[in-house]
Amino acid sequence: MDSQLKQLVLGRKDVQDLSDTETELPPDLMTVNMGPSHPAMHGTVRIVLTVDGERIVKSDVQPGYLHRCFEKESEYATYTQIFPYTDRLNYVSPMINNVGFAMAVEKLLGITKDIPRRAEYIRVIVSEVSRITDHLTCVGASAMELGAFTAFLYFLKAREWLYELLEKVSGARLTHSYVRIGGVSKDLPDGWIGELLYTLGEIDKVIVEVEVLLNNNKIFRHRMAGIGAMTREDAIRTGCTGPIARACGVDYDVRKDYPYSVYPELEFDVPIATTGDCYDRYLVRVEEIKQSIRILRQAVVQIPDGEIIVDDPRVALPPKADVYNTIEAMIRHFKHIVDGIKVPPGECYAFVEGGNGELGFFIVADGTGRPYKCYCRSPSFVHLSTAQALIRDHFIADVVPIFGMINMIGGECDK
Amino acid sequence: VDANALRDHLVAEFRDTVQPEIVHDLLTVTVTPADWRRVAELLRADGDLACDFFDYLCGVDEEAAGIGLVLHVYSTRHHHHVQLRTVVPREGGGVPTVSDLWFGANWHERETAELFGVDFQGHPHLINLLLPDEFVGYPLRKDYPKEKRQPLVRRDDLPMNPMKKEAP
Repeated sequence: MDSQLKQLVLGRKDVQDLSDTETELPPDLMTVNMGPSHPAMHGTVRIVLTVDGERIVKSDVQPGYLHRCFEKESEYATYTQIFPYTDRLNYVSPMINNVGFAMAVEKLLGITKDIPRRAEYIRVIVSEVSRITDHLTCVGASAMELGAFTAFLYFLKAREWLYELLEKVSGARLTHSYVRIGGVSKDLPDGWIGELLYTLGEIDKVIVEVEVLLNNNKIFRHRMAGIGAMTREDAIRTGCTGPIARACGVDYDVRKDYPYSVYPELEFDVPIATTGDCYDRYLVRVEEIKQSIRILRQAVVQIPDGEIIVDDPRVALPPKADVYNTIEAMIRHFKHIVDGIKVPPGECYAFVEGGNGELGFFIVADGTGRPYKCYCRSPSFVHLSTAQALIRDHFIADVVPIFGMINMIGGECDK
Repeated sequence: VDANALRDHLVAEFRDTVQPEIVHDLLTVTVTPADWRRVAELLRADGDLACDFFDYLCGVDEEAAGIGLVLHVYSTRHHHHVQLRTVVPREGGGVPTVSDLWFGANWHERETAELFGVDFQGHPHLINLLLPDEFVGYPLRKDYPKEKRQPLVRRDDLPMNPMKKEAP
């Protein structure tokens, strides 16, 4: 064998060095680059690992490869034009981002109470469908990274059914831009609820299939249980929310603690785990899928008829028939598109329970149609900052399940 | 705890150094940069405030007034939110770090430092997080043009700390 090549690959000079009699590993620390182009690095993130053999002694997590200047772009866009940007934050559950941003602007406009109830119910329905797609992706992708390819295919199949449903509602498979300030842009299509109920029944079956495959799978449990554990106190002082915090025993869900929209009218449980390791994060996510299905089944029964956007000329576009036939509505439409919705000066923070945790928007308005400042409190950013502590003293192979269960979404983290 | 009671508590504690007000149901405390750390410590340690949960920290360019800083914390015991605000000068402005009080502030301070050019004194690792080291300027300031493009030319001689970079 070419000794030069061997030296290059293994750092050793002679063939004799590779003999089985050698038991000692080189004593010095080694630096290993993981990412940015690594199949297990969701989106793009680079981790520089300093390893002692297989054990990680130090790491440097470097996000930023997917930074698209969400905040800067928002300052130059009208409030309605920001919806497409929010789609691209957490691109696995864009509907929840849409709702969160709309709620922040509505709070500034003071119309939170005036949103039609049908619109609120539609928002909750699409949010919960999005939450299911988010968890299906997270669990499915993590299982695949640990070798359980079947579970991944089952979950992605189910996710595609839900994407098709969202596509029927909004016209886009992934970047929906469906919610509007004051309501939603379109009503649910005819027969959509029946399709949703049928799909939920199918998803129930998929979850049973995957739980049977994973829950007591020896390999899966060995790779997940006891890996990347976080204490309750650490989760709180870091600001962890969502399934990660709930896996550590933090009983915090924005839908319960700061109920918004019509969540108080719907019955659901918040799953809490105790150990805070990767396996608990997995269990919490699967249970949340079941709870979301429970919410959806209630919401489609309770949804009332009525308007889908607030009847306020400051906020809603005039009906198309008026735009084409009256000059007043034409002007209103034009002003609305060009100048944007005039939001009174002030600042506010509104937050929703996103797929990964508390997703908030802090908006400073200056009275024009564009925000002066639009900050997104993204849960992935907060969760990724814990990664360095979580992977310390684990093996390189453990980085994969820890990262999978943090569910860092590049777009949301880097903004 | 009621936001009004919290406000009275803070006023009693600090007399004239803080100006609490309630904006959209959120208690907002405006302090001078010198009081930033002291009030943050109180928010963390005081039994009636007990803000143990770190929500976010961000900057707001307030043009002539300087760069505003917004710190948002929450109490898991009492279930209340408090927002702490201050304004630091545009050139060389900074506040002491709060990353030792809330671990979550660590990355938020790094992000705010590189995007707004605010120093966080005593931060353990204040280097660029999202931007490359070669980036010149503070992109979220209002005077940084949105259309401006910078070619990325790798350089090995740069100080890593965004606060030690030369002005654009």
